[in-house]
Amino acid sequence: MIGQERHILCQALAEAIREASAAGQLMGRGALLAELRARNLLGPDEPNDPDMGALLAETLATYRDLAALTSISGEILYHVPALLSHTYAGILDRKASPLLLIAEEVRRNSAEYPRPVPLELFEQSPFDLLPERIELSLKTMAGSPEFEDISFITTSSGAVYLFSSRHLERPYAVFLAERADTGLLLNP
Amino acid sequence: MAEVNGGFAGKVLRVDLSTGKISFDDSVEKYREVLGGTGIGYKVLWEEVPAGTGPFDGANKVVFATGVLAGTGVPCNGRTAVTTLFPSCWPKPLVASGHMGGQFAAKLKYAGYDAVIVEGKADRPVWLFIRDGRVEIRDAGHLWGAGIRRTTLAISQEMGPESVVAAIGQAGEHLVPLSVVMNSVSHSAGGVGAVMGAKNLKAIGVQGSGSVRIAGDKSEWERLVKFHLSILGGNNQHVVPSFPHPQSEYYNPSSRWVGAPGKRWGAAEPPIEINGGLYDLNRIAFRSNSGAFYLGEQAWQYTVRGNGCTGCPLRCHTILKVPSVAAKYGIREVAQNTCGGMVFGRSFFKQLSGGLFGPASLEACMVGMHMADDLGVWCNYGQLQRDLIKLYYDGTLKAELGSAEYASFPWDKYENGDPAFLFEILPRIARRQGELGHALGLGTGGLLAHWSIPEEAWTHDAACGYWKLGHPKHHANEDDGQCGVIINTQYNRDPQCHSHVNFIRNGLPLAVQKKLATEIWGAPEAVDGVGDYTPMNIHKARRARWSLVRKELHDSLGLCNWMGPWVASPLKERGYTGDDSLESRFFSLATGQRLSREDLDRIGERIFVLHRALTIRDMGSVEMRSRHDLTPPWIYQAPSGAQAFTKGSIRMDSQDIAKAMELFYEVMGWEKATGAPTAEAYTRLGLQYVAEGLAVKNLVPGGKR
Amino acid sequence: MKSEIEAEMVVRAAKEAGFCATLSRRQFLFLCAGAVTSLAALNTWRVWGADAPIVITDNAKGLLLADPSRCVGCLRCELACTEFNDGRAQPSLARIKVGRNMNFGPEGPLGGARMQGAWGNGLFIQDTCRQCPHPVPCATACPENAIQAAPETGARIVDTSACVGCRLCQRACPWNMIGFDEQSQKATKCFLCQGVPKCVEACPSGALRYVAWRDLTREAAPRAALLVVPPEKAKGCLDCHKP
Repeated sequence: MIGQERHILCQALAEAIREASAAGQLMGRGALLAELRARNLLGPDEPNDPDMGALLAETLATYRDLAALTSISGEILYHVPALLSHTYAGILDRKASPLLLIAEEVRRNSAEYPRPVPLELFEQSPFDLLPERIELSLKTMAGSPEFEDISFITTSSGAVYLFSSRHLERPYAVFLAERADTGLLLNP
Repeated sequence: MAEVNGGFAGKVLRVDLSTGKISFDDSVEKYREVLGGTGIGYKVLWEEVPAGTGPFDGANKVVFATGVLAGTGVPCNGRTAVTTLFPSCWPKPLVASGHMGGQFAAKLKYAGYDAVIVEGKADRPVWLFIRDGRVEIRDAGHLWGAGIRRTTLAISQEMGPESVVAAIGQAGEHLVPLSVVMNSVSHSAGGVGAVMGAKNLKAIGVQGSGSVRIAGDKSEWERLVKFHLSILGGNNQHVVPSFPHPQSEYYNPSSRWVGAPGKRWGAAEPPIEINGGLYDLNRIAFRSNSGAFYLGEQAWQYTVRGNGCTGCPLRCHTILKVPSVAAKYGIREVAQNTCGGMVFGRSFFKQLSGGLFGPASLEACMVGMHMADDLGVWCNYGQLQRDLIKLYYDGTLKAELGSAEYASFPWDKYENGDPAFLFEILPRIARRQGELGHALGLGTGGLLAHWSIPEEAWTHDAACGYWKLGHPKHHANEDDGQCGVIINTQYNRDPQCHSHVNFIRNGLPLAVQKKLATEIWGAPEAVDGVGDYTPMNIHKARRARWSLVRKELHDSLGLCNWMGPWVASPLKERGYTGDDSLESRFFSLATGQRLSREDLDRIGERIFVLHRALTIRDMGSVEMRSRHDLTPPWIYQAPSGAQAFTKGSIRMDSQDIAKAMELFYEVMGWEKATGAPTAEAYTRLGLQYVAEGLAVKNLVPGGKR
Repeated sequence: MKSEIEAEMVVRAAKEAGFCATLSRRQFLFLCAGAVTSLAALNTWRVWGADAPIVITDNAKGLLLADPSRCVGCLRCELACTEFNDGRAQPSLARIKVGRNMNFGPEGPLGGARMQGAWGNGLFIQDTCRQCPHPVPCATACPENAIQAAPETGARIVDTSACVGCRLCQRACPWNMIGFDEQSQKATKCFLCQGVPKCVEACPSGALRYVAWRDLTREAAPRAALLVVPPEKAKGCLDCHKP
């Protein structure tokens, strides 16, 4: 494959990633390879598929608006952070595993802001988990050492909040949960 | 002095209701050094209202003043400050301001006025007619006794559909200290209704066909307006949405930016789905929904649209249409308001079936808006309602009210959170009927005095929310540690300052907030995580100063301090930085007088210190630290027993707060022992005449600092 | 030669104004009052003599569409119109008009049950210029032919060099959309901002759109009382309505 052709392929990959991100989707290597085929950019006389890893590395180096994310499956996925933020991309990726979806979100919120998250967050977009699924996931987490840091708070109004004990201490998490649940509303 | 070629309308209208005399001052000549708004208010009170004047005396004045940027396309303008001696300030009425939005500020500017000074007292009910250059005092006999809505309609019928009416209701007429003046359906200035009532002034009607000139290049103006729009967040300048979104790295479930894609204004006809990009400038009005924020998801189906002040794209007032309440309570099915005004009704109840997001809560809010916004009752930032809760549940009412009066209230409805109770309590407050109606309307101070309740019963009760001088806390240590405490000590009512809390609650991660804090106030230690407070430092004192100075600046420019300053933004590409010079950039272009951020902040500080001077003069004491800048004991307590500076506790330490006040006085250039501005501080701010006036009474700390 | 062009012009104008494709001789003569005395610099209008009405044959290319169900009453449209075009904030001069309907709707505070706006049914009605097809009321009323169609957009615009400030156009607009700039003593109206309307840009709720033109003149009842003066007396108006 000569340099100019390579440049065209990179450009097509960038375009495909951008279109996908605009539509709220992450693209893996397989999907991107299929894109190149769909755009008739891989000649019929090409014996092998191109080295997508190398091609994509070059694409990311050339087009600085693109980013890569390592999926929970181990696969590398591609997106445009300005259209599909790192945070949102991570959530979309973790939808494949409700356990990780909930746990990672709880951990990130506890570490970054820091704050506990209301349980009902996971029923809303983009998590879209049914209450039964959430309950099942929480039960599973309660019995698993891998998720022993995921902890619960019940506020004075009966709302459930989750936090990670790795990043937030319980008294502080309780304070923040009460504040988020009713404190702010009673303090306009 | 630099030429002023725009921004100001040009005239200050002066109306003497005792003599009927109508006269005009030149805004720029007489008031440019204090800009407008609270600046003009404090200056008038300083120069023309002697110490010892009572709020209901003819000698008291009430100053309706807006600012240079009101009536323009600057986002988040449209504010009027109403400054006077507050009857609710206790034990001694002192200078304070109410703030109202709506259409009044813009219309006043188009009529040709930056402010209206109302003096004296009419011998019969009157209203003030202002149409461009024509000003008349008209008879209001046919309006007296009417609520705000009918008054507005009647005056509009006389003046025309484009007039704006600021009116008092029955509460103001009955000289109830907890009363408001209200314009444009739902926009009120608290605390001043009774002062208007004492002057027999029922309303001000304004119509204006003029303009606000922009001195600078109109293309440059357009670019700056569009830039400001681009860094806006949701209500209270919350810069992250409450929901994860592909265009945002951050979100915060507690954010006021609640307009997620797919939500809809369900009572619009037909309903409107929220669509478009997160930062789309043609979708700013959909970002916030105060109905949904305070009443939960149920509010979306009842949302007709957002509403608000002239020129502001945020629309923080929500119009709710709830047909069921019309049948159930005999009220209008449509109501609108925001924040304290929206939750007025439900705040009376200790609990409501279904909780804050349940149907009883919604109904109570609808009834509350319907009644309070017509009667013109003021909530004193929720203190009215908290006082009733405390007095009822601790048995005071049963002990103090006569048995006949006590029995006349449906207390079972009150305990059950039945909104029908509001029909009993609100009219009695507005008309001072019965002992309870009378006492509650006095405000906390008057109420405590009326029943000889020691203030300590309130100042040791955190749940009650009381701070000092008859008024409650407003974003104190529960939001912002020492910075919040300092801010709450400085005024003669709750501080009505949001500069600090808009930043604290903006939803960005603490690390990002600290990065921004370094840029704005010089060090990451200027901000703490909420409830994770660290000992006081000089940077927090600087941030407190900045918060207060910018609040006065906004109140004097006609800008909304519930949105500004705009130092954080939603934009990742800017590192979430906003623009700390926005006010001065707009000011310079509008007026043609180029002022830097520091120049304009100095004027803001001048205005703030003028308030300080007025307070010192009218208290007759220079001992501000010990007698005025008070903190309630409850901030130093914790029911859990947690110590100060423990994660999860908002408990303050009294020595640390003493240090906080000292550092604050230091950054202000005030004397530490007294908390009073020194002669040098006054002089530095161009307030020598104030220093001289105070020095004569020995109210300036001796010598330079 | 000239008369052929004239005839063609008249037929075209008639079509645009909704007359049937084939004119009767009587209709033709009716439309063709007077001889051509000059051809205008612009191609879209013609005048057949000083005492004949202006004919603007081309419709505007675009139109402001305003949806009241989305209007949030912020008045940023009015502010953008005047601040960005005139360098001053003056809603009374704005060429899109919302403020006047905001409190009570077009019926006003005496409208009773028909009131809209903040004190009525809550709907904020925006008034926009319909960029009327021929006969354009404001253009027809103008004794100086100072209202013409702009080349790029076809918007009906006031030529301020020709306007003498007589205000007859204001009286003629059925929806009271013509403003008057007291400072310059000239009429002013919506000119669609050279195809990028500033009000549309400014609206925070997407209530305004700039779309392909269509005839809105038959859809809303006229608001303003129209002044009717018999032709033989009309000239007398100019005795007073003069600079």
